[in-house]
Amino acid sequence: MNRTAVKVILAAVALVLVGGIAWLVATRGTRGGLGGVIEQLTGAPAGTEKVMVLLYFAGPGGYLVPERRELNVTADPKDRIRKIVGAVLDGPRQRDLGRSFPKGVELGSVLLAANGTVYVDLRSETMTEPPSAGSLEEMQRVFSVVDSITGNVEQAQRVALLWNGIQRESFGGHLDASRPFVADRSLIAQ
Amino acid sequence: MISQRSPAPLLLFALLLPVLLGAQAEAPPRPSSVTLEGQEIAAQVVVGPAGPLVALAPVAEALGAKLVPGEGGSYQLQVGEAQVVLAAGSPVVTVGSDIVSLSQPVTPGPGGILVPVDLLRKTFGDLSGYTFDWLPEQSRLAISRRQAKQVPVFIDVVHLQGTTTVVLQFPEAPRYKIDQQPGRIEVRMLGDRLAPSLPPRIEDPLVEGVDATPDRVALRLLRGATAESYTLENPFRIVFDVHRPGQTTAPIAGAPTPGVDRPGIRTIVIDPGHGGVETGAIGPSGVREKDLTLLLAQALASRLAERLGVRTLLTRSGDAVLGLDARAAIANQNKADLFVSIHLNSSLGAGAHGAETYFLANRATDPRAASAAEAENATPGGLATDADPAALQDLQLMLWDLAQSRYLAQSQQLANLIQGELNQALELKDRGVKQAPFRVLMGAAMPAVLVELGFISNPDEEKKLQEAPYRARLVESLIAAITRYKEQVEGRPETPAASAPAAGAPALQTVPPAAGSPPAAGAPPAAAPAPQAPGKPGR
Repeated sequence: MNRTAVKVILAAVALVLVGGIAWLVATRGTRGGLGGVIEQLTGAPAGTEKVMVLLYFAGPGGYLVPERRELNVTADPKDRIRKIVGAVLDGPRQRDLGRSFPKGVELGSVLLAANGTVYVDLRSETMTEPPSAGSLEEMQRVFSVVDSITGNVEQAQRVALLWNGIQRESFGGHLDASRPFVADRSLIAQ
Repeated sequence: MISQRSPAPLLLFALLLPVLLGAQAEAPPRPSSVTLEGQEIAAQVVVGPAGPLVALAPVAEALGAKLVPGEGGSYQLQVGEAQVVLAAGSPVVTVGSDIVSLSQPVTPGPGGILVPVDLLRKTFGDLSGYTFDWLPEQSRLAISRRQAKQVPVFIDVVHLQGTTTVVLQFPEAPRYKIDQQPGRIEVRMLGDRLAPSLPPRIEDPLVEGVDATPDRVALRLLRGATAESYTLENPFRIVFDVHRPGQTTAPIAGAPTPGVDRPGIRTIVIDPGHGGVETGAIGPSGVREKDLTLLLAQALASRLAERLGVRTLLTRSGDAVLGLDARAAIANQNKADLFVSIHLNSSLGAGAHGAETYFLANRATDPRAASAAEAENATPGGLATDADPAALQDLQLMLWDLAQSRYLAQSQQLANLIQGELNQALELKDRGVKQAPFRVLMGAAMPAVLVELGFISNPDEEKKLQEAPYRARLVESLIAAITRYKEQVEGRPETPAASAPAAGAPALQTVPPAAGSPPAAGAPPAAAPAPQAPGKPGR
């Protein structure tokens, strides 16, 4: 095979590759078999984008400590809220931080009202009531969710927490849970 | 010749006969229906195991409201002044600023969304005076207008320390809404009719007059006066505190002025935190908060009675569950002059230790509420009539129904004294005086604090808290602080810097409120030492 033939073959292969990539980018967002390829190209599943969020977990001395996390989210703020709360419930990756909720607590429904109030229903099959705790532990628990949502979702102004689908008098024996919580940044370690 | 036919068919027929007869006797299923004052409405009803679900749109239309699709699959419904937001699949809805849990989730149906009857009761029932009766034997939802009942109301007006307090007292909570216009506030009945007592003759620097009709009670405010409202229970009262912006409305901490009917500290209610299945925090060795708070509270109550000659009451004397609202109600019903809730703390992270004392923080501390507060203060008459709807909604949130709101300065004063004594007497880390929206403090119509006497989650403090001599020292610190507070309130000769922490105690940390958390109406005046921001851990 002479050198010209090799050049022609290489040019053809390059053309096919460039054309293929162009076609894939042009059809970005298409679900199905292409999804995995697109995910490799963009780093996020089709129809989603990767965003960096700060999640808050209990740290030493009673503070909330931020943990940076990359999440795949859609444009729907409710999806972003679901992913954030899900990640908070899954627990921190840093070893010196603590879980906000015991294992087994799961996310139920999420509602984002037009006035910016987010309703988050947390569910547990084993605990009929929210975990009983000291006041700081309760505040760490509540504001790990509230601050993680309000700090990362522009539309979320305040957060109402429900337990097993029902609004509770408090969320552990201290804080008034009958009204939505606004963010409390004072718990976050500086 | 006798035939030898098999008896099997006969036996089978005998067995099936009751079933066949039963099937014949059973009436065909009656179609479900909805009626308004006896007239049928074309509204779908689906009866499931958890009860009936009713098509909302036709019912709303028949009752004069309209269901409007909103964003993201949600729906909005305007019932009277309240906006109702609901979404298919969700078991909660918002009615105005309230969250309402439903017996069944909102369900999509072929003709629109279906809702449980309790949603109708909580919206059209509570706000528009309709009754909704599900009649299972007729498979019918009967809607009718509630018969208006006569509601007695007693009106009282008191002026004290630059604030005029107008109290509307009812034998039971009526259905009402509050309308505010410049210089005028109306409490309008929703369905019920007032039977008002004779309004008092008023000569007041802030309130021009109060008049009542069967439909409403109206307060006429003098120029520049603003009002905040809240409710009290047992009996139910709607209270308006009227003042002029810029005037001091609460006594300055350190120089408290006792109320007209409260010249001293005579009754103190001690609240042992948690109880029953609600254990509170549990220490590493299994020590339960509820057990130690009871021991501490019992000791405090008995020694306070001995030393100060005051009447002391415990909210619980055994290991029993008691709701947070009920604890404050016990204090209110017994006309307590102080409410002290005893707790032990816990933390999810390691290393937290020390004592801290809380008084109530109001909840309207987000930036939008702050802008609503600015709008309120900037508008003559104190009414944000030109503010945007969101600000007005937050303004409504600001008019919180907290009995505690008028005692914040005294509560802070007591919290300062307690924290100072704990710092002085014990080798505990000073976590400071803080504010938080603790439910147990909200309903207390007297100075009220919640004391966290150490971290049960900390092994060292858990061990100390199990030792009776150590608990006795904690109790002595609380007694010393309450004694000093009583002396200040009753005007006895006081040591210098009466409102400051006890001599030798480290100065309380003074920091501004958290970002976006400006002091709102009802917060202590600037002259009082500022508390730490809500929930801020000590360093």
